[in-house]
Amino acid sequence: MSAQPGTLAPPRVVEQRTHRDARQEQLFRWLLKGCALLVLASLLGAAGATLWGGREAFAKFGWHFLVSTAWDPGNDVYGALVPVYGTIVTSLIALLIAVPVSFGIALYLSEVAPTWLRTPVSSAIELLAGIPSIIYGMWGLFVFAPFFSEHIKPWLTSNLGNKPDDGKLSWVVQHVPFVGKLFGSDYPFGASILVAGIVLAIMIIPFISSVMREVFQTVPTRLKESAYALGSSTWEVSWDIVLPYTRSAVIGGIFLGLGRALGETMAVAFIIGNSMTFSASLLDPGTSIASTIANQFSEASGLQKSSLMALAFLLFVVTFIVLLIARLMLRQLKRKEGN
Amino acid sequence: MSSIYLRRRITNWLAMGFSALATLIGLTFLAWILWETLRQGISALNFKLFTGITANGDEGGLANAMVGSLIINFLGIAIATPIGVLAGTWLAEYANRTKLGETIRFLNDILLSAPSIVMGLFVYTIIVLPSTVLTHGSTSFSGFAGGVALALIALPVIVRTTDEMLRLVPSTLREAALSLGVPQWKLTMQILIRAARSGIITGVLLALARISGETAPLLFTAFGNNYMTLNPIDKMSSLPQIIYQYANDPGDTAHAMAWAGAFVVTMFVLLLSLGSRLVFSRNKVSHD
Amino acid sequence: MTDSALAVNTAQTMAAPLADTKITVRNLHFYYNGFHALKGINMDIPEKKVTAIIGPSGCGKSTLLRIFNRIYAIYPKLEAKGDIVLDGENILDPGYSMNRLRSKVGMVFQKPVPFPMTIFENVAYGIRHHEKLSKSDMEGRVEQALRSAALWDEVKDKLKQNALGLSGGQQQRLCIARAIALKPEVLLLDEPTSALDPIATSRIEQLVEELKSEFTIVIVTHNMQQAARCSDLTAFMYMGELIEFDNTEKIFTKPGKKQTEDYITGRFG
Repeated sequence: MSAQPGTLAPPRVVEQRTHRDARQEQLFRWLLKGCALLVLASLLGAAGATLWGGREAFAKFGWHFLVSTAWDPGNDVYGALVPVYGTIVTSLIALLIAVPVSFGIALYLSEVAPTWLRTPVSSAIELLAGIPSIIYGMWGLFVFAPFFSEHIKPWLTSNLGNKPDDGKLSWVVQHVPFVGKLFGSDYPFGASILVAGIVLAIMIIPFISSVMREVFQTVPTRLKESAYALGSSTWEVSWDIVLPYTRSAVIGGIFLGLGRALGETMAVAFIIGNSMTFSASLLDPGTSIASTIANQFSEASGLQKSSLMALAFLLFVVTFIVLLIARLMLRQLKRKEGN
Repeated sequence: MSSIYLRRRITNWLAMGFSALATLIGLTFLAWILWETLRQGISALNFKLFTGITANGDEGGLANAMVGSLIINFLGIAIATPIGVLAGTWLAEYANRTKLGETIRFLNDILLSAPSIVMGLFVYTIIVLPSTVLTHGSTSFSGFAGGVALALIALPVIVRTTDEMLRLVPSTLREAALSLGVPQWKLTMQILIRAARSGIITGVLLALARISGETAPLLFTAFGNNYMTLNPIDKMSSLPQIIYQYANDPGDTAHAMAWAGAFVVTMFVLLLSLGSRLVFSRNKVSHD
Repeated sequence: MTDSALAVNTAQTMAAPLADTKITVRNLHFYYNGFHALKGINMDIPEKKVTAIIGPSGCGKSTLLRIFNRIYAIYPKLEAKGDIVLDGENILDPGYSMNRLRSKVGMVFQKPVPFPMTIFENVAYGIRHHEKLSKSDMEGRVEQALRSAALWDEVKDKLKQNALGLSGGQQQRLCIARAIALKPEVLLLDEPTSALDPIATSRIEQLVEELKSEFTIVIVTHNMQQAARCSDLTAFMYMGELIEFDNTEKIFTKPGKKQTEDYITGRFG
């Protein structure tokens, strides 16, 4: 190989190639950056489009839109309170159930379960996250709501509700305020705010538990070992060491679940009953922002359509804030890990 | 003394029992949901489902919805994949640790769980409405609009996995290519993306699984169509949308068909997520 | 044949280098994030000889090597000051084209890093960026490079297979083939055997011996025996400074500086 080193190409050719490379590199950078900016654009676009679509409703009703329970296409008067109430209450119910259960699952998978069981069980739980929301809706509508209305609801209405079948108020209803209102219902079917909340809880459990499990695993082993060395039990280590150490990320995981619950459409639309009439009772049908939009948007026009857009804008802003908090909380742990 | 020990031990037992119970609850619901979908879905499966169309109601099938779903999902992935891969590449290779890069990465994470119905309304505003106005109403809702809506949902998934996978590629590979005088864009497109290929494919499969079950963003974009169409600028139905429609129908046959559709969608999604795991685990082995 | 008139002029303005000097380093300083990593390095690297750079980890030996082809420039906040004159031209001059530099100076890294493509493509990939060759010319070039890297006999029947399937030692020789396929004049080896077993290591050392008839080789190693075995000159660095640079034999038998002696004899902190 009698290579002639350095004579690959005359300098002029090398220079041309360098120029060409620089030009292509510049183009490539712009292309990539443009694509990345599209991500930003879709976020701003979604907010902008709904705000623009809702401008008539915002202009017409102002702040009153937020506190009005009216939803009357006949008189063209709309308020957001009923769907907002339904959205918030279903999400809170979901959190109330999902947080302790997710914590239990995360604890079981990271501290309690025998090692051979951890992978299959956690894959199974993650499978729950993969099931499309419409399946949850189907299952809720055809399986869970009838089950609920047959086996659980009668007990709730007669023991905790202010409208029991036999007319006799239970001791709890007489002595604890609000409970009677929350569980009083003479609506004959299962579809209700409570059922929607329960189904949402099942949907967000895998999200919250997988975040919790992940962050529990970031706790340094030496920290846990030194607590065990002092004679702490598994529960004490988890509650006194692991949880405080991971607090912000755990809250982040919970907010992530909340963000999901707030924006979920289909599962809720199937089983919340879609009633635009306000009722404080969890056993009565209600509606959420997303299911209201899903049900009414195609047939709506004029001010009603604008009001639905305005609802969507509210939903987007609220979930954005919730998810923002979630990500900020989760990022704190990443920093800690980095150190 | 011993009463303290006893109390601590009981607390521990209760807590351990609770954690096992919580796991059992989760697994029970998983089994229950899958069992009902299998039982009701399989008993409603028949040949007509795959040949008939929804225009024939109880006598028809879901063929138009299945074809529609395939087309809309394909459009969604076809739009989101190049954009998502390039955007993720920018985040990992060009904007890592820059302010704009960090911001976009952060907002992309938020978009991952943003409400999909709002994305549907966004696409309604930027595609359905203008096309209605421009064509004087002859075109409004379309399979294409549905594809764009699904692309917006798939995009953050693909951006994130591409970004993460590229950041796992060892920097020595970059140095080796650059030391040969290969320009950075060639290095990125021909070597890094190839090295991260199976991770990126995993991301695309996950995105596909994610959008296959999406209903909400299709309601006001693809809308629905009881007849078979292959034309993406027509209104187009999709499985999830038909499931929603049939489930709210009072008829038992419609319910059975909705279950059959639900079964098909669930199987598709579960197989996809299983497949993506396989691709990824193979990737891990080959790179160690 | 490589020195243009201009190049000679520039070179002569520097402190008089040796006649057969390939690379002249003058007053080279290097900083990262404000840390002063190299402190005024001066050295003349002769043509077609093997120059080894040794020293404890963190002494700046790899840093120095990575300036010779400006690969450091892909990371932010790194800065080199001073002159590195290659064939009479300062490669640290921003006007010095990266394409030109990298086709003249090849590099092989610590860990073998084959590209995720076939064995043939691994070698052809770099060439393609610099030259347009016909299919048969390209095949000839790849074969030549693989032969020079003493890999041809082992891979000639599986050129279309993925390079990730080769053993560690084969992968490293593939990386050498990839670098010399561009016909560089200088070959930088950054601890090329640190990830390899003893047998693979001795093959690489043998290869270095063979390659020095055609290339100027600079090898960084943490292994003193390796430096003693296969280099003509050895530079000892410590804490960012070049302590001593002389014939390998002299460095290892009669080192001129106390620090060098301490390091060579293993008495080093």
